[in-house]
Amino acid sequence: MRDLCAAAVDAATGAGAEYADARVVAKRNQFVATKNGRVERLADSESEGIGVRVLVNGAWGFACDRRLSSEGAREAALRACTFARAAAGRHSSRQLAPVASASATHRTAVERDPFEVSLDEKVAECLAADEGMNGPDIVVRQAMVRAQREHKLLLTSEGTEVEQELIECGAGIECAAARDGVFQMRSYPSAHVGSSSQMGWEYVDGLDLSGEAPRVAEQAAALVRADVCPSGVMTVVLDGDQVALQVHESVGHPTELDRVYGSEASYAGTSFLKADDLGSMQYGSDLMNITADPTTVGGLGSFAFDDEGVLAERTAVVEGGLLTGFLTSRETAARIGAGNGGSMRADGWNRMPLVRMTNLHLEPGSGTLDDLLADVNDGVYMETNRSWSIDDKRLNFQFGTQIAWEIKAGKLGRMLRDATYTGITPKFWGTLDAVAGRDSWRLYGLTNCGKGQPGQSAHVSHGAAPARFRDVQVGVRS
Amino acid sequence: MNAIEVANAALEVVNGEAEAVAHVEHSGLARFAGSEVHQPTLIENAMVTLRVVQDTRVGVATTNKIDADGLAEVAERAHAAARSAPPDDGFPGLAPPMDPPKVEGFDEDTARLGPEEQAKLADAAIDAGGDVPVYGFFTSAMSDLAVASTTGLSVQQRMTDATALVVAADESGSGYAEQTAWRAGGIDPALVAEEAAEKARRTRGGGKIEPGVYRAVLEPYAFADLLDYFSHDSFGALGLLEERSYFAGRLDEKVFDEKISINDDALDPRGLPKSFDFEGTPKQRVELVEHGVARGVVWDRTTAAQSKNGAQSTGHAPPAELRDWGPLPSALSVSPGDVESVEELAQLVGDGLYITRLHYLGVVHPREGVITGMTRDGTFRIRDGKIAEPLVNLRFTVAVPDFLRDVLGLTSGAALVNSQNFYGERYPYGVLTPAIAAERFAVTGVGSKPGI
Repeated sequence: MRDLCAAAVDAATGAGAEYADARVVAKRNQFVATKNGRVERLADSESEGIGVRVLVNGAWGFACDRRLSSEGAREAALRACTFARAAAGRHSSRQLAPVASASATHRTAVERDPFEVSLDEKVAECLAADEGMNGPDIVVRQAMVRAQREHKLLLTSEGTEVEQELIECGAGIECAAARDGVFQMRSYPSAHVGSSSQMGWEYVDGLDLSGEAPRVAEQAAALVRADVCPSGVMTVVLDGDQVALQVHESVGHPTELDRVYGSEASYAGTSFLKADDLGSMQYGSDLMNITADPTTVGGLGSFAFDDEGVLAERTAVVEGGLLTGFLTSRETAARIGAGNGGSMRADGWNRMPLVRMTNLHLEPGSGTLDDLLADVNDGVYMETNRSWSIDDKRLNFQFGTQIAWEIKAGKLGRMLRDATYTGITPKFWGTLDAVAGRDSWRLYGLTNCGKGQPGQSAHVSHGAAPARFRDVQVGVRS
Repeated sequence: MNAIEVANAALEVVNGEAEAVAHVEHSGLARFAGSEVHQPTLIENAMVTLRVVQDTRVGVATTNKIDADGLAEVAERAHAAARSAPPDDGFPGLAPPMDPPKVEGFDEDTARLGPEEQAKLADAAIDAGGDVPVYGFFTSAMSDLAVASTTGLSVQQRMTDATALVVAADESGSGYAEQTAWRAGGIDPALVAEEAAEKARRTRGGGKIEPGVYRAVLEPYAFADLLDYFSHDSFGALGLLEERSYFAGRLDEKVFDEKISINDDALDPRGLPKSFDFEGTPKQRVELVEHGVARGVVWDRTTAAQSKNGAQSTGHAPPAELRDWGPLPSALSVSPGDVESVEELAQLVGDGLYITRLHYLGVVHPREGVITGMTRDGTFRIRDGKIAEPLVNLRFTVAVPDFLRDVLGLTSGAALVNSQNFYGERYPYGVLTPAIAAERFAVTGVGSKPGI
């Protein structure tokens, strides 16, 4: 791998690049999914190749090739230079924040390598959980487990050479109930392909899918008979899973500095934040503390160095409700004049690195979920994301959850279905008046964060605990 | 190697029953922001997915290592997966040999475009933005898809596609336009940028409106997006079988206005033509809605085998990594109406909204077809039958069946709207649709002003 990267970087600098980096990436994925007692998908995929990024006359170029050969490496480098040169000329020159060159290796610590776990065991795990969701009104039962190994080597023309092996796995179950034209879903531990972690198979073992399956099915069946969540302005308590989604969409994306500068305007969108909001923008209440931490054990956004070779560091993004940091690349860090990047990741060898969330956490507060509920006279408690939508500046959002309960006089009451809530980002975070404590704080790992053209999917974790928000608009439907 | 050579080479190293799907991509995407190319990406890749069948046990493995060693490894991994799979009595078997229909969709000139030309076409869009900075891309690609199997099936299709997409935006306004086609010669990036910039200039000073139900005109960009999201649950056989689809229990009932007819037609040369699906089954034109009556959904071999009504595959099997979704439409086409222009649609509306584009849609209730999202890059008030003052971006929460129940009109011309965001392997598809005016579009909130 190293020789190929070196050949690519040499070819690029020889062709006039003032900067070049090359990444060889080999990725393997296993995915097992069952539906209604039948194996729906049993797949094992791998992909490898080299991606070369260059700066020529101040303009970026990126090209890649699946061939891990000297020829493939050199050709990718030269094509990247050609593309950059074609774009240069009337281009403002790209500057990169300086970083010390690094030489390091890193591997995810695992107790049980997920690729050493037999496919037989993975199939059995899914089928057992699938069977556990059998019950009245259940029309679809699904279980899945997944594993990924990404081995990559980055070499830059500035002398950085970093080799990393990142291992992750995940699992989830979901069932759907239907009755009298009402269709409802329930998932565990999260919706949208379960939850994943950068750990070994011990993570999947700890989820106890089979143990949770009967509860999931019972709740789905109960939901088709539940009342529709009422509309109105009220206090909302969100479970950690929904808080994680709220953090992702309304804090993570708007604090990506490339979005602030407009790089994503044509697809994912921009941000309501401006660069000069740093240090002055009141994002939320003083209970709102958000950190970006690529060193979190088990986080899907964890690494030793990002895909530009910047050392992983924990940073504060919001402190006491005040905006104190952005997620940056070397280029955007140089432009804002703060930091040196550290959030650049690419979706494999054939995509250019972009500013991506690492692990973005809402830091814990104190107390338990019961403590949060106790101080609510009339409100709604919502669990597990079902739908999400937010505008291109990450300001106006509408989220829905799979299940909810009314809160009356500090206690959970009747079950409710079709719960949604809506808000404007800083106003909503300004109503945060309680976050549960460390004992309720969990990591939620999602694998479907989209950005970029051509599209890239990132894996990212969020630490979150249940949280309480006052005066929230609940129940928006056509 | 081309795709059929890759597929055949993969089959040669497999013992027993198997299917190989090979996909070769040569693409370039010159992405720009603030009128500068900032993320130019060139991709060269070749993937092969092997599906092996041992009795009724099925295993799948994918690789892009297509030399002899790589193919031997992927075959072993596919066999290992099959050995771990329990017998599946519902497995319909691999597709038999069939002659796919001949379709258009490949253009030598488009296939030959290289980075210099792609950058030049992006430059054309940048130049045409004028005083409004532009954000977007020009992309073109050649994709080669082949399916071969031990049943004797052997099909191959080379495809080209090109898209120019532009958001023109400054501090106070934004506009959007795009063109997509299988011939790059049919794309005019400068015209796309001019359309986006002209619209951006008209959105400055956007005002707010009260939430409520409005009459509305949706441009093809907006209507295509809404329909695409609705189709995921409602136009596929799996959604029907699992009762997620709005069509569950409603087939052959009148569900929409009689002006609405929708089909999925990958054979239409005005779209991005496809000859066969990812199981090698020939593509068929499928009538989904005929004059407002729900007529059918699209099928693959797996869902057809689960059907109690003798359904057959219509050629809509997705790639292996999306098989959980079941068969999906990939060439939606809405029959045009008789209204000459969007301005005439505005006259039909009288008092309402004009919407260019939607953003970040989310399915709120699949069974009821309720979708939420935001408008973006060109939202206006319609007053006295004319497109009037600009509006801020609006949140909507729309039950698609309710939106389509009372249609005021459709334009006589249709546009092809790109629906692929180029995740994963390149497989271009889009929605061919006119603009539409309808009686009810539910606005449930207001968002930010247009602009960067």
